[in-house]
Amino acid sequence: MRAKHLVWIRRTSQAVFLGLFLVLLVMSRLPEDVYLQYSVVFSSDADLRLDQPVTFFFQLDPLIWLSSLVSGHRLIHGFWWALGLLLVTLFLGRAFCGFICPLGTIHHIVGWVKPALKGDRMTKANQKTPGNRVKYFLLITLLVGAIIGLNIAGLIDPISLLFRSMALAVLPAAGIGLKETFDMMAASDIKVLNYLSYGGEALVSPVFGYGYPAYKTAWLIGLIFLVILFLNRIRPRFWCRILCPLGALLGIFSRFSILRLEKDHAKCTECSLCAKGCQGAASPMPSQAWENAECVLCFNCFDVCPEDALSFSFRWSPKLNKKPDMGRRAVLGGLVAGISLPLFARLDFSAHHVSDPRLIRPPGALPEEDFLRLCQRCGLCMKACPTNVINPTLAEAGMAGFWTPHLIMTQGYCEYTCTLCGSLCSTGAITEISAKEKLERPIKIGSAYIDRGRCLPWSGNGPCIVCQELCPTSPKAIYLRKEVVPSPTHAPMQVDVPYVDLKRCNGCGICENKCPVRGRPAIRVIAAGESRSIRNQILLTGSVS
Amino acid sequence: MDLNYPISRRESLKRIAQVSASLAGAALGISPLLSQSSGLASAASKRFVIEGIGAKDDYKVKELTRMVFEAAGGMGQFVSKGDIVAIKPNISWARRPDLAATTNPEVLEAVIELCLDAGAKKVRIADHTIHDARRCFALTGVGTVAKRTGAELIFPRSSLMKRMKLHGHRLDVWPVFVPLVEADKLLNVPVAKVHSVSTLTLGMKNWIGAVGGRRSALHQDIHQSIVDLARFFNPSLTLIDATRIMITNGPSGGSPSDVAAKHTLILSNNQVAADAKAAGLFGYDPGEIGFIRLGQKWGLGTYDPKKLIEQRMIL
Repeated sequence: MRAKHLVWIRRTSQAVFLGLFLVLLVMSRLPEDVYLQYSVVFSSDADLRLDQPVTFFFQLDPLIWLSSLVSGHRLIHGFWWALGLLLVTLFLGRAFCGFICPLGTIHHIVGWVKPALKGDRMTKANQKTPGNRVKYFLLITLLVGAIIGLNIAGLIDPISLLFRSMALAVLPAAGIGLKETFDMMAASDIKVLNYLSYGGEALVSPVFGYGYPAYKTAWLIGLIFLVILFLNRIRPRFWCRILCPLGALLGIFSRFSILRLEKDHAKCTECSLCAKGCQGAASPMPSQAWENAECVLCFNCFDVCPEDALSFSFRWSPKLNKKPDMGRRAVLGGLVAGISLPLFARLDFSAHHVSDPRLIRPPGALPEEDFLRLCQRCGLCMKACPTNVINPTLAEAGMAGFWTPHLIMTQGYCEYTCTLCGSLCSTGAITEISAKEKLERPIKIGSAYIDRGRCLPWSGNGPCIVCQELCPTSPKAIYLRKEVVPSPTHAPMQVDVPYVDLKRCNGCGICENKCPVRGRPAIRVIAAGESRSIRNQILLTGSVS
Repeated sequence: MDLNYPISRRESLKRIAQVSASLAGAALGISPLLSQSSGLASAASKRFVIEGIGAKDDYKVKELTRMVFEAAGGMGQFVSKGDIVAIKPNISWARRPDLAATTNPEVLEAVIELCLDAGAKKVRIADHTIHDARRCFALTGVGTVAKRTGAELIFPRSSLMKRMKLHGHRLDVWPVFVPLVEADKLLNVPVAKVHSVSTLTLGMKNWIGAVGGRRSALHQDIHQSIVDLARFFNPSLTLIDATRIMITNGPSGGSPSDVAAKHTLILSNNQVAADAKAAGLFGYDPGEIGFIRLGQKWGLGTYDPKKLIEQRMIL
């Protein structure tokens, strides 16, 4: 095959997979065109699901598969894809990094649009440095930590990182900017602008998830993403070379690769064009030994060599490729960090003692310890949630739970028959439940309580009881009693005041969400009473163990 | 709720004028009490209430719907050729329609077909739902109604909410769901339910789902808010779906035991009259329901049987 073709095949493949990633990202929300047969809607509580395989890239990611296997002892759904990818890596090396990885492609594009350096300085920047070992350190830390019980692979797994950054920061930021423009046009008195606004919004709102969701503290996710992109100014694909734990994992597997870079020393004129174009700092020059574990198979060296001194070919050989250059320090450091981090994580006690009252997990979430062992913090549940209630945590779940999903009822609420998040969780940290299960077991995510000082009727400030109206259970978990309360004029006032029946409350939070007291509502939901936890119960019931 | 909150003199004069004008109109309207549908047709401008009841076990909801409209002289009396018709169902909750929290999709389908048969250019279904609109439209079957009939679904969007002057007694300026205002004809197709704040939710209460803004604050003076909104939207027709009604745990319901089958549709060109008729299904006198009483007081209509043409049809 001609050299030119290989580079173009690589570029085409990158474009296709980046496109696929973005399409699946955009599709990770409930569509507007759901048409159910009357026979279906009349007969049962239908479960709305997404038709597209939006978890495909998570299933393809061997780091997600391995970390959830060793940490949560679970084979995730569709792990065959990840297994297949590892097999491919065994034969072809880090083809994933060069041909498929959407984050790698974005780095590649950034470096192509604005090359970090010029001339000799670029050649120098593309030499292997001890910094390349950092990724092995990170990989070992993550995997050892995962075995001991702290699974934070998702924080820097490239697929999780990219999905989280795009879904929670980049898309919402762009969407809200557009929405504000449309709202401004809609408020105008010029009819043409009104129509343009309606039309424009109908066109773009499907891309941004219809409701233009926004996520608490997502600015941090966006900032980190920008920093990671900016690192390409230091050297090309900085992330892939220095930091990516998935790249490190695939690099280790590439030891057995039969696709090898063949170097013809006789033809080489030491022009070093190959090194200048190298994306992985993989030492393509014939005077150096090829670092197959660093090579992302971009085929740039092969493409630029004016003397045809370089070629890629399939060759069986009993001799293995060069060992990945991990360095003893990276290995030992990784072991130490991997053992100590899980111990630090326990300092939070979050998994063992009473958790943060506002740590309300999505319906169907596993008990906290199991949940943390599986959650990849990819943000898919947050992206797909139709009410925008699921947000990333900061400190609520402790260090081990950074960026895991929790429900903020002032942002949204958990819709009574909605079970979408669990159907999408790629590792099963949120189990898939049906609406029937959610209602009948029932699955409680917390309990509501009333703040009588803020409540309008309780404080004598007039009738209200929006909370009771919206309570979705039957009979309602919020019930009313006529009480006489002192009004601001000191005259006794008879109003309906709300009470919560803890046995019926499932913690959905619609009461908190719609309470007219904004910011810190007069009725709030705390995690206590969540059915996934044996400890975090309020009432003495027969089934407590 | 305080009915006696102060109003300006000019406003009170305006109201007196409105009330007396409507009373005069009603007085003229009642003189020939007509029982035949053809008579009703000619009296389409007069206030009528038609109650259609499906008595047979195997009656078809769609047939019942067609029957009540025929009794009113046909949809052609209300919808002209080339009209853009906006329909406001009550699909606030992402619930199965058999739980009676939302308008029966079969009723809606029949109404839209009648509009299209009458020559409507376009029929739009719009509701500012409480639950997520996508789930509401899908799970109540209304998405399918739109798909079958070719009607347009209008999802609530912030760019479709526009602050408008309501000229209400309680509500002055409020964000309104524009597609329900910018239509040639507006039809109100609510479901009949009990409601914890307003006792019942019928036709007039349905307009709370036609506005945006801080809707939860409306509960602090619910009946006057309802009347203000009803006066602003003032639909051509109200068709109350009482095929199933929610008799307890309203307005959300959630259990089949909250529902009673009434096999009834109530069609009226007057909001107060329609709601008053439907209140009877729950065993209430219209005067017991705050917004119905206020609606009559402020001249939106009447529930005085002497001022209405009433008809009862059995299928």
